[in-house]
Amino acid sequence: MSGIAAGRLAEERKHWRKDHPFGFIAKPVKNTDGTLNLFNWECAIPGRKDTIWEGGLYRIRMLFKDDFPSTPPKCKFEPPLFHPNVYPSGTVCLSLLDENKDWKPSISIKQLLIGIQDLLNNPNIEDPAQAEAYQIYCQNRAEYEKRVKKEALKYAAEVVQKQMLE
Amino acid sequence: MPSWKEKHGKIQTTKLLVVGAGGIGCELLKNLAATGFQNVHVIDLDTIDISNLNRQFLFRKEHVSSSKAEIATKVVKQFCPSINLGFDHASIFEEEFNVEFFKKFDMVLNALDNKKARNHVNRMCHAANKPLIESGSSGYFGQVQVIMRGKTECYECQEKPASQKTFPGCTIRNTPSEHIHCTVWAKHVFNQLFGEVDIDDDVSPDMEAEDTENPNETGNSQDDEAAKEPAPIGTRKWAESVNFDAAKVFDKLFFQDIQYLVKMDHLWKQRKPPTPLSFAVATTTGESLSFADAQNKDTSIWSIATCANVFAGCVRELLKEIKLNPDVTLSFDKDHPIIMAFVAACANVRAHLFSIHTKTMFEIKAMAGNIIPAIASTNAIVAGMIVTEAVKMIDGNADVKSSFIRNQPNPRGKKLSLNRLFQIFLEGAPYPPNPKCYVCSETREVFIYVNPAEMTVGALRDKVLMQELNMLQPDVMDTNTANVVLSSDGDTDSLLPKKLSEISIEDGAILTCDDFMQDMVLKLFIRRANHLRGDNFEIARSDKEKDEEEARKKEQEKHRLEEAENKEKLETDHKSEEEERRKRKVDEKESSEEPDVKRTKVEEKTGGEENENKILAME
Repeated sequence: MSGIAAGRLAEERKHWRKDHPFGFIAKPVKNTDGTLNLFNWECAIPGRKDTIWEGGLYRIRMLFKDDFPSTPPKCKFEPPLFHPNVYPSGTVCLSLLDENKDWKPSISIKQLLIGIQDLLNNPNIEDPAQAEAYQIYCQNRAEYEKRVKKEALKYAAEVVQKQMLE
Repeated sequence: MPSWKEKHGKIQTTKLLVVGAGGIGCELLKNLAATGFQNVHVIDLDTIDISNLNRQFLFRKEHVSSSKAEIATKVVKQFCPSINLGFDHASIFEEEFNVEFFKKFDMVLNALDNKKARNHVNRMCHAANKPLIESGSSGYFGQVQVIMRGKTECYECQEKPASQKTFPGCTIRNTPSEHIHCTVWAKHVFNQLFGEVDIDDDVSPDMEAEDTENPNETGNSQDDEAAKEPAPIGTRKWAESVNFDAAKVFDKLFFQDIQYLVKMDHLWKQRKPPTPLSFAVATTTGESLSFADAQNKDTSIWSIATCANVFAGCVRELLKEIKLNPDVTLSFDKDHPIIMAFVAACANVRAHLFSIHTKTMFEIKAMAGNIIPAIASTNAIVAGMIVTEAVKMIDGNADVKSSFIRNQPNPRGKKLSLNRLFQIFLEGAPYPPNPKCYVCSETREVFIYVNPAEMTVGALRDKVLMQELNMLQPDVMDTNTANVVLSSDGDTDSLLPKKLSEISIEDGAILTCDDFMQDMVLKLFIRRANHLRGDNFEIARSDKEKDEEEARKKEQEKHRLEEAENKEKLETDHKSEEEERRKRKVDEKESSEEPDVKRTKVEEKTGGEENENKILAME
């Protein structure tokens, strides 16, 4: 295992535990033997207040590679999210998460999650990742908003929080 | 030199944190206020006890059971209203006193009374990169140590001896040579007869020592039979069988057992053997005080007859107490007059038999209760030295000193220069950091010998990381798998009962241990030691195997280099000077790595030589 990646991830975890934005969740998953796997995090992003995403808590997995932080983690909504910049697999398409674009090794997990939260209400139409959400967003904004609000209800914060504690 | 005004200005603006408002703390706060410090914060978790009032002069009788930090603050403000003095009635281990909190101050002054808190503050100051002045007093001894990250050694650079001395069992049971050995033995006797029986506290002669060297001796006399009652339960049972007859119990402890000990001749080749003493003889050895009178004379030496009298009286009283409350187990309590008298009498009779000077009950009480006398003058001197060093540091004076107060000019009879001979007050420049310190060095490595198949994760946390290495909230990652095996937020609590080997921590594993609170990261190297059972472990600050291997490698490298050098020399000898000069020029121009390689080679070589010298020196 890469010592640099593990050390940095341990540091990230410590920082997160000391201070993290309200409503967010981020923690390494448990291995079968009960130890924690620092390369696989289960996170959750709350929809920002006063947006159509409000009330929802969206689960997202972060998968880190051995060469982190040279490369960004893969961020994948589980289950996949209705959003123009989220691939049908759930993977997020964001310049911040692209090592050839805006990724920098100094970006923290906290900054990534806030960046993705920001993306929720500010989709990037130049770079669509799924047909459905993209088309509805472009053609029928009212319908789009209805669909998003439905998602927010489906992933109501209290329910998702409980799921993640299990 | 800065002007006085300048200096005073710095003193006024410096923000100080004082940890502890007890013996040294009270003196210190007074000194700080008197020196002109204006920004001070004090933390103490304790409340005022009546026994504090003789030396913690900021406190009065009406303050008893109030917060020390609060009253100290109030009283100092009375005589120095301009001071900005804040306080917390809290433990320094609380989460609110995190690294950020420490960063708010310019300097930290310790006035603590325990090692655990000192270790913690040392680490917090290291993490926050704040200078620390550490202090302590113990009777007539006092000490002030200046700690600056990267410049001086930290509080934990040198291993501190265990705070409470323990003695080998055979010294206690067979061959006491100091009064403290007899006092410890007497406490054990009390536990065997009246208190909670502890297998480790056996008081009868240690038969094993005899068996190994004198295997053929047979106990054929009746006395031996009686003495050879090794089971610790036996002492109590036996005493019950004779109805706690004081004379009989006395004879067993001081006549038969001693007689038996005397027979183990190998013990007495280098020592004077003890003299057995019967109760009948003891009661006529010297003038005797009555039981009641003796108890009141706790600062005079009791005669042996008095001791025997007190012994009998105490056995009687303690027996009554046991019969009155059969469900209550008595335990040693220095403030219980009968128990203390019993222990003092027992200790003195035993001391007498072993030709050790007897002591007063008052002295024995201090030993048995592990009482360290607190002396107001020592605390005052220590507090004065703290402020002196603090002012020097604020002034940017590099000439800071660590100081010591001794109780007599030359305690060990060493040959010292006349100048130092008469000093009870010593000072010296602080030592440089220990490059192998697991708290303040760059490497921070600790080696632990355990049986991974037997030690649990919980024991690793509680016994190794928290108790031994003084961590507060340890997080542990196995560097091999990058898995978190211990998390201070409780996420891995299900692992606590598991054995280390069950989560693949085996011989050779390297654990990164990071304290969430102290911001201290160290590497824990696991070495298997199959002879260790259960949660037992041994700890080492450096790795013997590694040290040896490094020495070997350096030696090999040295040989290799020497050979290579010789070869090179031969080759260059053949080449013309002209060619060599040209080659050098090319090297310098084109290859930037080459000179570096050469430099490292030289360094390695000298390193090897040093190492060899060290080995020679050791031999």
